[in-house]
Formats: sequence, C-alpha cells, structure tokens
Amino acid sequence: MRKFFIALTVLLVLLVAMPALPASAEDTPPVGSVSGLTVFTTYPDQVIGLGETVNIPLKVRLESGAATVKLEMKQLPEGWDASFKGAGRIVQSVYAEAGTDASVDLRLEPPTQVAAETYRFVVVASSNGITAELPITLTVKAKTPPRLTFDTELPVLKGTPTTTFRYDVTLKNEGDEDLSVNILAEAPNFFLIKVKLSGQEITNLPVNANESKRLSIEAQPLGDIPAGTYPIKINAQGGSADASLDLTAEVTGQPQLSITAPDGRLSGQAYAGRETPLKILLVNKGTATARAIQLSASGTTGWNIEFEPKTVEELPANQQIEVTAKVRPSDKAVAGDYMLTLRAQPAEGPSQSTDFRITVLTSTLWGVVGIVLIAIAVGVVALAVFRFGRR
Amino acid sequence: MSLPESSIPKQRARSGSPWTGLGAVIAKEMADHLTSARMRILEILIVLTAAGTVYAAMQNLRDSVSEDRFLFLKLFTAAREPLPAFVGFLGFLVPLIAIALAFDSINGEFSRRTMSRILAQPIYRDALLLGKFLAGFFTQALVYTAIWLLIIGLGILGLGLPPSTEEVARSLIFLIATIFYGGIWLALSMVFSTIFRQTATAALASIAVWLFFMVFWEIIAGILAQILSPVYYGFQEEILRQSIIGLTLSRFSPTTLYAESMIALLNPAVRSLGFVTPIQLQGAILGTPLPLDQSLILIWPQLTGLIAATILLFALGYVLFQRQEIRA
Repeated sequence: MRKFFIALTVLLVLLVAMPALPASAEDTPPVGSVSGLTVFTTYPDQVIGLGETVNIPLKVRLESGAATVKLEMKQLPEGWDASFKGAGRIVQSVYAEAGTDASVDLRLEPPTQVAAETYRFVVVASSNGITAELPITLTVKAKTPPRLTFDTELPVLKGTPTTTFRYDVTLKNEGDEDLSVNILAEAPNFFLIKVKLSGQEITNLPVNANESKRLSIEAQPLGDIPAGTYPIKINAQGGSADASLDLTAEVTGQPQLSITAPDGRLSGQAYAGRETPLKILLVNKGTATARAIQLSASGTTGWNIEFEPKTVEELPANQQIEVTAKVRPSDKAVAGDYMLTLRAQPAEGPSQSTDFRITVLTSTLWGVVGIVLIAIAVGVVALAVFRFGRR
Repeated sequence: MSLPESSIPKQRARSGSPWTGLGAVIAKEMADHLTSARMRILEILIVLTAAGTVYAAMQNLRDSVSEDRFLFLKLFTAAREPLPAFVGFLGFLVPLIAIALAFDSINGEFSRRTMSRILAQPIYRDALLLGKFLAGFFTQALVYTAIWLLIIGLGILGLGLPPSTEEVARSLIFLIATIFYGGIWLALSMVFSTIFRQTATAALASIAVWLFFMVFWEIIAGILAQILSPVYYGFQEEILRQSIIGLTLSRFSPTTLYAESMIALLNPAVRSLGFVTPIQLQGAILGTPLPLDQSLILIWPQLTGLIAATILLFALGYVLFQRQEIRA
C-alpha cells in the first residue's frame, strides 16, 4: 500500500513538472513507460528521377505506452530539403500509441542541380530519451531521355509509275515518357504520301513509353513520272524527340502504248469481202521500251484482220511505228458503220486498245447489173422501133 | 440493129426519123393535161395532201427537240395522228394520177375519131405514142417536182434552217423514184388504153391491176412462199428460206419496190432491206446513217427495176400500138 502511494506521488510530481502534456495522456500509460519505438517505411530504398520530389510514407510505432514522438532528419545531403507532412501541413512530431501506427509523410525535395548519385538520409524519431532511426537511401538516376526510333525492313522499293510504294515502318518510343508524335513526310512533289495506321490515314499518333507502332507509308506517284530514284523522308516528332527515316522509291519506266492513225482519224472504209489496208500508228508515250507488242483485233465475227508486222519487237519510249492492219470485212457484212477494236499488248506493261469505226461499203457490181437491165429494156424498145417503127 | 435490111418488108420501111413531130405531140398533150379539169382535181388533191401532212410532220418535229442530221427527210416520213405520213399518201396517189393521165390516151383518140386525123399529119405512130407517154411522164414529173419544192420550201420556212446537200440529194433521188413509179402505172394504163377500145374498161383494168398489187399481191406472195417452200419441221433455216422467197415474190410488185426505195432513201439508218443474221450485225454501230452512195447501192435493184419496168411496159404498149389497125 505504501508502495502504491509512492508511485502515485511520483506520478503527480511528474504531472506537475510536465504541464505541456496533453490531457488525454492521463488515461494512457505513463510516459515513462514508453518502450519499443520504431520508425519505418515500406520502401526505404528508392530510385528516383532527376528533379523528382519524393514522398515517403513513414510509420511510427510504439510497443507500449503512448507518447509524442519528435521527428528529425539526422542526415540530410546538402541542398536537399526535407519536411514531414501530416494532415496537409508540415509537422514536427507525431503522437504515437501502442497498437496504432502513426503515419507521416516525409517529403524530400532535391536541389535544382542534383547530381545523379546515391543520397543517404536518416530519420530520427525520439521520445522520452528513446530514439529510433530510419535510414533512407535515394538513388537519383538520370532519366532516359525521350527517344523515338524509326525502323523499316525494306527501305528501298522498286516499281512502275503506276505502283503504290508501300513501306512498313515501325515507330518506337524508347523513352520513358508517353509521346504524341507528329509524322511528316518529305517527298518530291509528284508523290502523294499517305501515312496509315491500321488502315486509317493519320498525321499524329500517341505512342506510349517503350511501345512501338507499325505504320504503313504509302507513296503514290502522280501521273507519268520519269524513271529514277526518288528519296522520301519521313520525320517523326514528339515532345523533344524526333526521328527520321530515309526511304527510297525506285521508279522504273513503263511502256505506255497508244494506238492512233497517222492522220488522227480513227475511221476507215472497207469493202465487204475485200482486203483494205488500214494504217495505224503505234506510239509509246511511256518511259520505257515496249517489247514484243502483240497486235490483235476484235469486235466482229467473220472479219479477217491481219497486221503487218504481226508483232512489233521493240518500240522505245517516245517513238512511234506505223503498222498496217489488213481489214477484210465478212463477205456478208451489211453496209454501214462497224466498231473494230484494235489492241496492242506489250510483253510488260498494260495493253491498250482503240476503237476504229469502219464503214463497210458494198460492191458496186450489182449496180452494173442494174445498168445492164435498163440497157436491155432500152434495147427492147430499140428493137421494137426497128421492127415496127415508122408506120 | 443487127437485123439484116432484107428481113424487113420494103413497103413498110419508110425513111426519115421515127421521132419527127415528137416535140409537137409532147407540147400539145402536156397543154391538154395541164389545162384539163381532171388534172386540176388531182393537183389540188395532192397539194392539199402534201401541205397537210408536211404541216403535221412539222408540228411533230417541233415537239421533239432531238437533234437529227436528216430533219428534212423527216418531213416526208414523219406522221402525226390521225394523218399518215406524206410518203404513205404517195404510195396510192401516184398510181391514181398516172392512171388518170393515161387511161384514155389512145382509145380516147379513137372514140373522138381524131386518131386518123393526127396520123394524117407528118407524124409517125412512134412519135405519137412516145409523145403521149412522155407528155404524161413530164406532167407528173412537173407535179411531183412542184410538190417537192413545196415541201422543201415549207420545211425551210417552218424549221428555219436550210437542207443539207445530202438531204437534197436523197430527196431528189426519191423524187426520181417517185416519177418512175408513176411511169410504170402510166405505161401500164397506156397498154390497157391500147388494148381496150372502151376508156372505162381501160381505166377499170388499170385500177384492177393497181388494187391487185396494192392489196392482194402481198397475200398471194405469202401463200406462194408457203407452197414453194413449206415449213415441215420448224427449223430456222426453213422459216428463213420461206421468208426470203416471200420477200422475193413481193418484190415483183412495183409498190414493194417503191416502198423499199423510199425507206432506204428517206431513212439513212436503214442498212439492209432483206434478212440479216445476228452475226452480220455483230460489231455494227446501229442507227448510224449510211453514206448516200451506199444507200443507193442498197436500193439500186429496186430503182433500176422501176426504171426498166417503165421502159419495158412502154415497149409493150409500143408494139401493141404499132400492130393495131388505125383506120377502123
């Protein structure tokens, strides 16, 4: 009983000596009995980027008792700014109680010119003479700069002026940031460039960090462009990163035939059942030599059309050659206009056909018969006059 | 003229040209024709027909604004209900005029007892008959030319554009065909006029022939074709052969010949008047006009047939007339 009184007296003395203690402390175990103070965080060792401010959630735990725990930075690298935050404000101490962890955030702000190295911090929590330390290590790493790469397997394509050159291009964001990338193509005027992503034509696309997108670059030559090698440059620009890719379109020439007549008149006359020569002009308006041009005609049955020569072996670009088509309309062809389709088919390249209008004339042989008929009739009259005349 | 001189009896072979006095006969006969009341009635009839049908055709052409290279030819062929086209009228007006001109040309002289008087003049029978024929021929040529000019003139007035050379050429050849079509009927009715002493009989005979060809010949040709080339199995060849025979038979009629030449001349798009197999038309551009010479070649047999028939019928009439007894 005496012992109890002594303890009570000591407690009262302590209470008088520490008026700053909160009133709630009265129903907690006495401060003196605080034990087992720890301060900890789940991830005490972190890697951060340059210029990044870190918030580290701290927890303060007491094994027994309850007390106000003061928090301090024991070790703080130069230039760094450390502050404890709780309930949105900067705090300097927390109240810890056995069984309930007190939470506080440690905010570590690096200096503006922070070097990329490892920084050590030590947080000290102290209460009633007992202290706990928490070493924190932050490794500042220079962040991967935003980087874009372009890649294609087939940068050089070959084709004719009518080909659409289609390049499969992979655009990769090798940086750690998501980027919105603008794609820009530089090509000679007579190319129509389309950048397509999964069939849609685009000019801008988002590419997430470390993601790659497959683009299809279509270059369509406009008109009949001369043979040659044409560079196409694709630029991708997103944030501070850019990339470019050089593509090449090798345009080979193509023969482009046209059939016409020497005087430009696509019509002619032919007698039924009689061979009539029809002069036609074969012109190569293309950019390459046309080889082994096969000539044929269609449109009418019973007609016989032969070409002289039958095959044109070679017709260089911008050259022309005169070919004779021997047209022989069917014996039974009715007089009038017929459509005759003449076709030239080079070994390589598109075939070309032209419609000729042939006016079929019929023979005037029967006309002579008619005249003879009238002559006979006149002869009969003459005979009658001679026999019975002058009465 | 290869007959030897000796084969002709001496007393018959008179000297001089057989055509002496031909001009005088033609002039007199034409004057008679052109002043006769009969001719006036016919002229009024045909002028009214021409004016009416061409006016109707013009109304029709104005309604359809479509461009046509051969607008003037349409004046002849375009019809507007209830009137048929001008050429439709021509088909029976021409024979009527020709028969009216010639049915009493020879027997009328006999019945008026003027034949011997005329032949007492220094005029041979040759000249008389040819003069009468040519006078009728020229009269109807005059009438048709006047009507042709009337139609072209009305066309220029009504359509407000001149006819093209080809239109003029085609319609002129059509005019010639019409004149010779009339010539056939003229020569025919002269033959009947020589054969029959009664003018009414001659007129009736001519009209009978005309009706026969106008109405019955088509039917008879169809029946004849069925008899000559019967269709046993219904093959296409059989049907085609029968049709060709039918067409050939119907072409013995001057009416058919005239109708065919009219179609080919006034419708340049007509390419063939016979039967055409689809193979023949493969590749053909339909509806395109034939050149004039090709159209002419197409109807050349018809045209020469009309001309030759006129000459041959005249020759028949000539022989009959020369062999006739005048002093009866």
